[in-house]
Amino acid sequence: MDPRCALLRKIKQYDFSLKELNLYLDTHPRCQRALAMFAQYKKLREEAVAEYNDKFGPLTPEQNKNLQSWDWVADPWPWERS
Amino acid sequence: MNLDLFSNIDGLVLRENGNSIPYADRAERMDALPQTDMPASPQLAMAYVPFQQWGNTMEADKALSCGTLFTDLVFPFERGGGK
Repeated sequence: MDPRCALLRKIKQYDFSLKELNLYLDTHPRCQRALAMFAQYKKLREEAVAEYNDKFGPLTPEQNKNLQSWDWVADPWPWERS
Repeated sequence: MNLDLFSNIDGLVLRENGNSIPYADRAERMDALPQTDMPASPQLAMAYVPFQQWGNTMEADKALSCGTLFTDLVFPFERGGGK
């Protein structure tokens, strides 16, 4: 798997774990273990997204950091993926 | 013909309010959740779901492929009803 896909996959995994903990916390709002794990995955996700932004550009339009160029459209479009 | 189907509506509404958590009492009530007891004598046609308890969790990569983070909730639905 190329590094870009591997990093995307990692972010997807963190997103999923965060959603799972989100749902669990909805019914167990004072569970310290779930709260701690949520914070941990949130940090991992933020780090992975920051790394993705640095190496491969924005994942969402508001992550466009280049003030000279709208990198959001520099990604391959869905129909351009090989 | 008795069309007075909702003659007992006051009782129904009262019970519903009793089960929901008013915003002001929410913080206090949160400590009481989750309830784990199943009813001693379950009613016909009512569905009961036991409250999930914290258990083992999987690594994020395995969780995504299993469809759950919690090992207690791994129920692979396979052809043949898992028999």
